[in-house]
Amino acid sequence: MKDFAVFWGCTIQARFPFLEKSSRIVFDDFSLPYKEIDGFTCCPEKSLIDNVDHEMFVVTAARNVALADENKVDIVSPCTGCVSNLATVKGELESNPKEKDTVNSLLGEVGREFEGSAKLSHLVPFFHDSVGSHKIKQTIKKNFNGMKISAHYGCHMIRPSHALRNDDPIDPVKYDNLIRTLGAESVETDTKLMCCGQGLDRVDQHDNALHMARMKLKELIKAGADALTVCCPSCFLQFDNNQFLMMREGEKLGLPVIYFTELLGLALGHTPEELGLDLHRVSAEPFLKKWASLTADNQEEINSGLNATGTL
Amino acid sequence: MIKSDLDLKLLEKCAGCGACFSICPSCITIPGYDPREVIKDILAGEFEKWLESKHIWQCLECHYCLEMCYQHYGFENAMTALRTIATKRGKFPPQVKRGWDMFAKSSRLGDPAMPARKKLGLPEPKKSGKDEFLKLHELVLKAREAENEKKTGTDDE
Repeated sequence: MKDFAVFWGCTIQARFPFLEKSSRIVFDDFSLPYKEIDGFTCCPEKSLIDNVDHEMFVVTAARNVALADENKVDIVSPCTGCVSNLATVKGELESNPKEKDTVNSLLGEVGREFEGSAKLSHLVPFFHDSVGSHKIKQTIKKNFNGMKISAHYGCHMIRPSHALRNDDPIDPVKYDNLIRTLGAESVETDTKLMCCGQGLDRVDQHDNALHMARMKLKELIKAGADALTVCCPSCFLQFDNNQFLMMREGEKLGLPVIYFTELLGLALGHTPEELGLDLHRVSAEPFLKKWASLTADNQEEINSGLNATGTL
Repeated sequence: MIKSDLDLKLLEKCAGCGACFSICPSCITIPGYDPREVIKDILAGEFEKWLESKHIWQCLECHYCLEMCYQHYGFENAMTALRTIATKRGKFPPQVKRGWDMFAKSSRLGDPAMPARKKLGLPEPKKSGKDEFLKLHELVLKAREAENEKKTGTDDE
């Protein structure tokens, strides 16, 4: 496996540092060759930056990719937005040599050059493709048998597909596969591919944002899901924080939202506190309690099987 | 201005299709948000009336329309073009302005939360590329200014 730099992005480091913690824990447990490199900036975020200044959007992303090129590493990110933005610009420059030359003559002024040799992956498809379900099954200590978990891919994990090329953009399977690898049932929903709607908060339309979050949460609660899993800080903000705000206004919700790295970390035997699950705004307790009771049941079954008459 | 950003030939096909309408999350959940109306107005040269509308900021850039579009074009291209024109004229939601200002000043949309990192036992964050970023931003602005002057010069002739 080629060494990779982790692109943490602004939101995880500024608002959810515990997501960085759980990511580091799972990288370490699988002994993955990640490196820390100096000099990354905002990816940059498309809706805020690209709409204002496309050229700065391109130059900034190209410079970030150039840093990985220079260090001869790939990039893996636990943020869907970062990967999607970097890949969009990489794709744009690779298909437009003239633009690439212009960008590189600018980058040359600060001693950088965009080559585009670094492979850009989101953490979920990366675990699916580069670690693989066999290795994950071998490494985990506890599975989620009996639990019902639903994956929210997040738009930018899989789209735009021409730039990311990592799963089917309208019928993705990798996140679901990973949930099954961990032993849980992957709950299918009608809103599976629907945007979380957090972008509406970024343009001062909070009520519309809440409406979109509510649609998905209600569908999942009705379907009997024990948790929603996401791997995007923006989706996490939408389903954890905004769900909390709705509950504070009296809405009956309360669906735990678990980051993919936290889910994997739990299966690897880490405690919820170590992984930062106690820092969520919507309590993960219902999920953890059910899981603990199932694990106890399973253990009892094993014990009774071992101690039953007729066993060797 | 809008013609240079959009492929109107492709948009003409959009006007007669509307497949994006059935899968767009904002179309499904926000009353009055309809790509077909916007495209019709763009083709009729009446895009101006959308620049002040909150609707142009309701496109979530989820790229679902792009994936479903048989031209691989997507309604989002029309919305991006309108938003770009709107921001050039200083018409943006306050949060977009705040986000851009923070980015232009610091190269990021938020600094690492140091006390929380310490509590979690996370290492020092790596050095940011702020200085290089600020230099690049300055160069881009200078080049743009020079280009504008050149253009004004030609217009005068």
